[in-house]
Amino acid sequence: MTGRRVVRAVVFVALFVYALISLYPFLWMISGAFKSRSEILEGGFLPRTFTLDTLTQTWGRLHFFDYFLNSLKVTGLTVLGVLVVYSLASYAFAVLDFPGRRILFWFFVALLFVPGITMLLPVVILEKQLGVLGTHIGLVLPFVNGTAPLTVLLLTNAYGSIPRELREAARSDGASEGRIFWSVHLPLARPAHVTVAVLTAVPTWNEYVLTRVSISDPSRYTLPLGLESLISSEVPRYNEVMAASLIIVIPVIVLFLFLQRYFVNGLVGAIKG
Amino acid sequence: MSSLALKDRPGRLRKEPSGGRSPRRWPGWLTGWAFVFPAVALFAVMGVYTIGSGLALSFAKWNGFTPTWNWAGVQNYLDLLYADPVLAPELRRAGWNTLQVMILAPLLTVAISLPLAVALNSIRRLRAVLRSVYFLPYVTTGVAIYFAWRYVLEPDGAINTLLRSLGLGTLAQPQGFLGNPDTALPTLILILVWSSVPVATLLYLSGLQAVDPNLFEAAQIDGAAPRHVLRRIIWPLQRPITAAIVLLGVRDTLHGFQIFLVMTRGGPGGHTDVLALMAYRLSFFKGLAQTLGLASALGWLLFAGAVLLTLVNARMLRRVH
Repeated sequence: MTGRRVVRAVVFVALFVYALISLYPFLWMISGAFKSRSEILEGGFLPRTFTLDTLTQTWGRLHFFDYFLNSLKVTGLTVLGVLVVYSLASYAFAVLDFPGRRILFWFFVALLFVPGITMLLPVVILEKQLGVLGTHIGLVLPFVNGTAPLTVLLLTNAYGSIPRELREAARSDGASEGRIFWSVHLPLARPAHVTVAVLTAVPTWNEYVLTRVSISDPSRYTLPLGLESLISSEVPRYNEVMAASLIIVIPVIVLFLFLQRYFVNGLVGAIKG
Repeated sequence: MSSLALKDRPGRLRKEPSGGRSPRRWPGWLTGWAFVFPAVALFAVMGVYTIGSGLALSFAKWNGFTPTWNWAGVQNYLDLLYADPVLAPELRRAGWNTLQVMILAPLLTVAISLPLAVALNSIRRLRAVLRSVYFLPYVTTGVAIYFAWRYVLEPDGAINTLLRSLGLGTLAQPQGFLGNPDTALPTLILILVWSSVPVATLLYLSGLQAVDPNLFEAAQIDGAAPRHVLRRIIWPLQRPITAAIVLLGVRDTLHGFQIFLVMTRGGPGGHTDVLALMAYRLSFFKGLAQTLGLASALGWLLFAGAVLLTLVNARMLRRVH
């Protein structure tokens, strides 16, 4: 029995060590965000004088409040767009019958194999011609389109697993197609919608590559661009950089803690499906 | 998921069919098309059109400012693959780095996450908490966390300090881990592994929970050592998940370059340059030089590579099953 106890102890130690590795950069992010400008240069984990100035300055004087609102706007619109556009489309793919259904569905899923970088340049060129380059809408449109493969897969699965009898019953009660969609499938597939919303929101919140090459007006910066502008200025002040990083990361962590099971279900479902 | 939702509100809509005649409707196909229209319209503009124009551009020379493209046939592809004395070696180097990342990152991810999942599955207390902790790197992946890593990897950063205080000062990097050409790429690979372990562990964990516990018990009664259980039972049963993790990792390597862009920009001296980052540079950082066609061509080479690897992977998967 003692042998078994040793094994258990080893297992726990290993698990804790990896937990520390998982948290490592976050711990330093937190410690850095509460240090003053002079202390950040000294190293050392715990701040000697714990200061909130760095965070408040980053939030206010460095415009992170504005960037926060911009990020919120872009992320909110993207999530809304994804939910509206692809719940309609997936409903059609899952339960309606129309010519071109299968081929269209596979078109959307095939998009999964097109690398982002292959689309990036043509999207920028097109948006320049359309005059939306550099606006928030110019970000939202390609973001929405980019989630298509995963979202269509998840939602088509979810709607498809709702028993057909429900639809037939509603139909024979005289419900129109729009009504069935709205009152039967949307509420019953609510967990799938939350999953899609979180799986869209998090990458959008963090998006940097397309945002970086489209947005040039600092008043339209999202959080990642604001963060980058801090580090590209002469000598990076890592206390401010860490405070800014914390501002970006905290909403995501809060979202994750509250909606954990939707993240988990979504990922497992998306990969096994 | 949906079956759960159904249980929540049993038979809410299961009314008796009234047998009434359905009202006059649009023809069925029109309804279908109306539902998919917004998605298809967006896809036509943001997907089909852009993919088409990108493909066309890969056969032309253009700098983004002149009114017309200069058609160049397959010259862009040839330049990238061997003809151009500057580009071709650059591509080969970026390709070699990409290949290293593509092989090492998924391998290490599997090597860490499978034992981690087995360990996590064997405990009951704290399992939920630890699972959440392990998951954090995934949800926060992005610019913010890359900057945090940059901060700890600085020459005077936390990692060097930690190594020195542990008496491992010889492992510390005075130029910083990202400044030394020999350590930059391995460091980035480790950070990539760090951010892909969460999903892999989660998948293995869900796979392990689907295994019949009697199987483990039977093995234990037969006196099988833990490493035999791992090799003879767990590993074969989890093979489809391993395949999925490797496939995901390979795909992410070909598609993703954010970490390389944010942390090193391909430096020092091109030692962490990858193919997608090279395409990004050719797209946006070459001023008036006519590199947009080259960028598109490289994008298409990557696309072809991704499709090819997926097909190979799918074949191997089929053999495994």
